[in-house]
Amino acid sequence: MGPNLLANYGEAVSAILFCIGFTNLLLQTNLIKKIIGLNIMDSAIYLFLAEKGYIAGRAAPIVVDGVTSVEAYINPIPSGLVLTGIVVSVSVTALMLSLTIRLYLRYHTLDLDEISMQLKREGK
Amino acid sequence: MYLILSSIFFPILAGLFLLIRYRTPLPGEKRAIDRKALTTLTGIFLLITAALVAAALLHAKESFTLFYLTKTLPIYFRIDSVGRLFSMLAVIVLPCAGFFSFEYMKHEERESRYYGFYLLAFGVLNALCSAGNLITFYLFFELLTMTSMPLVLHSCSREAVMAGLKYLFYSLCGAYAALFGIYFLYQNCDSLAFTADGALRASSIAEHGGFLLVTAFVMLLGFGVKAGMFPMHAWLPTAHPVAPAPASAVLSAVIVKAGVLAIIRVLGMFGRDFLRGTWVQSVWISLTLVTVFMGSLLAYREPVLKKRLAYSTVSQLSYILFGLAVMQETAFTGALCHVLAHGFIKSSLFLCAGAIIYKTGKTRVEELRGIGKEMPLTMWCFTIASLGLIGIPPTGGFVSKWYLALGSLKSGMPVFDVLGPVILLVSALLTAGYLLPPVIHGFFPGADYDYGRLQKKEPCRLMTVPIFILTTASVFIGLFPDCVSGIIAAAFTGR
Amino acid sequence: MDFICNFPFFSILISLFSGTICSVLPAKAAKAVNRLVIAAVGLMSAVLLLYLLSTGESFIYWMGHFPAPWGNEIRAGVLEAGMALFFCVIMYLSMAGGAHKLPGEVVESKHSLYYILVNLLLSSLLALVYTNDMFTAYVFVEINTISACGLIMIRQVGRTIEAAVRYMIMSLLGSGLLLFGLCIMYDLTGHLLMSNIKESVALIMANGEYQIPLIVAVALMCIGLCIKSALFPFHSWLPDAYGYSTVSSAAILSSLVSKGYIFLLIKIIYRVIGFDIFNSTRIIDVLFVFGLMGMIFGSLSAIKENDIRRMIAFSSVAQIGYIYMGFGMGTQAGMVASIFHILSHAATKSLLFIAAIGLTDVSGGSRKFIDLTGAAYRNKWAGVAFTAGSLSMVGIPLFSGFISKLLFAQAAVQVEGKMLASLIVLGISTVLNAVYFMKTVIRIYTSEQDAPYRSITFRDRKGYTVVLVCSVLLNVILGVSSQPVVDMIGQGLAMFA
Repeated sequence: MGPNLLANYGEAVSAILFCIGFTNLLLQTNLIKKIIGLNIMDSAIYLFLAEKGYIAGRAAPIVVDGVTSVEAYINPIPSGLVLTGIVVSVSVTALMLSLTIRLYLRYHTLDLDEISMQLKREGK
Repeated sequence: MYLILSSIFFPILAGLFLLIRYRTPLPGEKRAIDRKALTTLTGIFLLITAALVAAALLHAKESFTLFYLTKTLPIYFRIDSVGRLFSMLAVIVLPCAGFFSFEYMKHEERESRYYGFYLLAFGVLNALCSAGNLITFYLFFELLTMTSMPLVLHSCSREAVMAGLKYLFYSLCGAYAALFGIYFLYQNCDSLAFTADGALRASSIAEHGGFLLVTAFVMLLGFGVKAGMFPMHAWLPTAHPVAPAPASAVLSAVIVKAGVLAIIRVLGMFGRDFLRGTWVQSVWISLTLVTVFMGSLLAYREPVLKKRLAYSTVSQLSYILFGLAVMQETAFTGALCHVLAHGFIKSSLFLCAGAIIYKTGKTRVEELRGIGKEMPLTMWCFTIASLGLIGIPPTGGFVSKWYLALGSLKSGMPVFDVLGPVILLVSALLTAGYLLPPVIHGFFPGADYDYGRLQKKEPCRLMTVPIFILTTASVFIGLFPDCVSGIIAAAFTGR
Repeated sequence: MDFICNFPFFSILISLFSGTICSVLPAKAAKAVNRLVIAAVGLMSAVLLLYLLSTGESFIYWMGHFPAPWGNEIRAGVLEAGMALFFCVIMYLSMAGGAHKLPGEVVESKHSLYYILVNLLLSSLLALVYTNDMFTAYVFVEINTISACGLIMIRQVGRTIEAAVRYMIMSLLGSGLLLFGLCIMYDLTGHLLMSNIKESVALIMANGEYQIPLIVAVALMCIGLCIKSALFPFHSWLPDAYGYSTVSSAAILSSLVSKGYIFLLIKIIYRVIGFDIFNSTRIIDVLFVFGLMGMIFGSLSAIKENDIRRMIAFSSVAQIGYIYMGFGMGTQAGMVASIFHILSHAATKSLLFIAAIGLTDVSGGSRKFIDLTGAAYRNKWAGVAFTAGSLSMVGIPLFSGFISKLLFAQAAVQVEGKMLASLIVLGISTVLNAVYFMKTVIRIYTSEQDAPYRSITFRDRKGYTVVLVCSVLLNVILGVSSQPVVDMIGQGLAMFA
């Protein structure tokens, strides 16, 4: 267990980060903190992907000096996935932020539980 | 085929027609219901249905599959002797109670809804009697609960709605318990078509014998809910007093018998030989005997007449179940005889109680002093029917109870062969104890009764004639039991 | 390759682009485009289904002609085409059934936005149904989430925004887990295409190496999709989201969106992991237990509810429990039952939501039971439709609900260890269903003489009534002639392997 963890420290770190982000998104009551948690969670996954895609001692997969052998480059697909993932997470974050603004304008608080209490009091 | 189908679908369509054509006017809507047309139409529909059923009973012999629910589950109809017997009961009681309600429901609101669902229930009952396999039976069993529930909660008072819900939940719980039994049977039988001598595969019995016994018990208990078997009898005394009297009559005389029919079917599917002598039989018999005794006792202590009759139904139905549980031919004959006898007697009693409520508004037994002087014909019918239920010859109740006791003694079971008849006898005494006081006080109000206040309150013919017919039928069964013995013998062998 | 093979791609593309077009169109035109697109996609799916039934084989469609393992692929089989067709039918019914309420619920200027969201939702659902690529699936899961969130919050009251936020949070947790599981899967197998992953997974299982990470990945994906499809205990967002959004949104969300995720899970089980390997893990036991709990607790919450829309929403929790219970049985029969229940529940739930709105309309807009007294007399068609839907939910024969319960029970009887538990819970849950649905039916049929509300007749709402009748018919058809559907599901599952 120990040596494995040390050898794969990148994966371990990303898993820990993922857990941190996940718990934040789940348990924080403050909406902004939730969104930060979301971003940590997503970034952890991108870290994981990037870590897996990198092969030590190889170059970025851009052909400049005519070497077309597969052996020379790292795997480009994870990088592509990371890019796509970033686009998705940015749009989701934007949506969450806009929702947060709506709620804040209406209830003057960022605390989700507080908002629920107010809604209950409104009785609708 | 067309006769059976039309006896099922004609009343259903007629009921739907009534529901739509004569629907209750909305608040603010200016539209009066033509009551005369409504009742005439319902009467005609009832008679046509009765004629169709009678024709189907006499002629229809073939079996047919309507369509396939899934590949292996056909909706299948076949009239056999058991179904024919129950149809006979329905075809006499339902029109009688229907005509009775034309007068009784005069002052009630939402009459059209009552008649509509009455016809629907009639159609579903016909389907139930001619169902040829368990899944078809189950379908119409559920539909029967659904269509009879509006009859129970007709007055829509809070009490009535709660009673209707109670009825619904008890019935649904029971039906679902039974449904799971059906799933197991489906696994362990070659087909779900009814037989009288067991459809289980021999290999299944060897392999899951114990489990199948549990299944049989669950099914008996589940369908027993409808038949008011202890410990799931509580809906009966709640539902009956709030329902209109003709509805209680039908409920008590015919609809609860659907539970009995179901149990006969289940018994046939498992086979008597499979269940005889097992713990299922012992537990079942004990339950029925407890119900017989407890129902009588509760009825004896009950001051409200209709509720008293309801408890009496609980007790009497378990007579029938006892006869089935003995699993012996004589007792089976007694049970089926009692189905008919109790059907006629109880519907007649409920209609009498309804007539009394309708004319005087009295519901409690102690208020009925002198009622026999005011409504002689009604009370005479009540008396004869009561004697029948107690089991005094020559009424129907005597014959059936005689067979029940005889069958039990012949069966050779340990303990129960003697205990059964003893309890039946004690319960008969209790029956006398709860049914005769209204009669005695009704006819002999005592010296201090003020005869000057007495006035003639005999209800009109629309009420007395159905009561009279039903009472006569109950006596007829007692005088000439031979006319049904052939069909019962056929029923025992499953033809 | 026949021309028809292009249809899955076309249908995704049409709905995606029509969404963009809708943004510049006036509301009325947008509505027309929306209806047209749903109808067209439905038609294409129907043709595709017939084509697939006639050939009897599924096909794989290369996007941009790159062969596997590099290119992106679409795969169509009987189950996919059937599901797409069914989704279109339900979506059309839901949109048409809620159309008359839209002006009251959504600000005039945002109507065209509403149709964009619906079209996007349709395209993402279709993509989830057809795709053969895991990462594409993830992207469309997110698109689905975003458009569903939009559908919830387009009716701008406090409740819906809060519900949308809660929905987003739970969904994001779910998609985070899904993505993480997917990345681990990619790490282990080196592929993103479902068929390739499956081969590698079989190799891994055969070698006996890396089994624990594999199971972790599968578990993460499963939990992610469970959260997104509101399996108990992850259902906290559901009642508000379904209860307060617009009618069409509620009907679509409950009957389609969660089903899209469940369908993706089925694809993952069959096409990515392999049915036998999935069943050999303990995950199915977990799904089974949560399914059973959902069946009971969902119904219990529904009983306590005194708001009709929220009651129907809680009943969805119970029904999703049924579906996962079928997964948990780990047999082919259980799977068929679950898929049939997806169809049956979608048909019934949309019907209930649409009928419920007809009832609340004639009760002064109130959704409390006390105000609904006698509503069925004021709006007869809605009353009849609601009753039919309730009977189906309770599982009365001749309606679709009975067949799905029958299938579940038949499946349960074949599984030794789980038979008793599933049958007992099935029984309890059915009775609980009966409690709250029958309570409601009796309530709406209890006549109230002095209710101040106006009644609605057929002439007032022709389109709405036709939708109700169609939904009821759909239910009855599924209930009466279920065998062809069940056969088709079996055939589709066979094509999956």
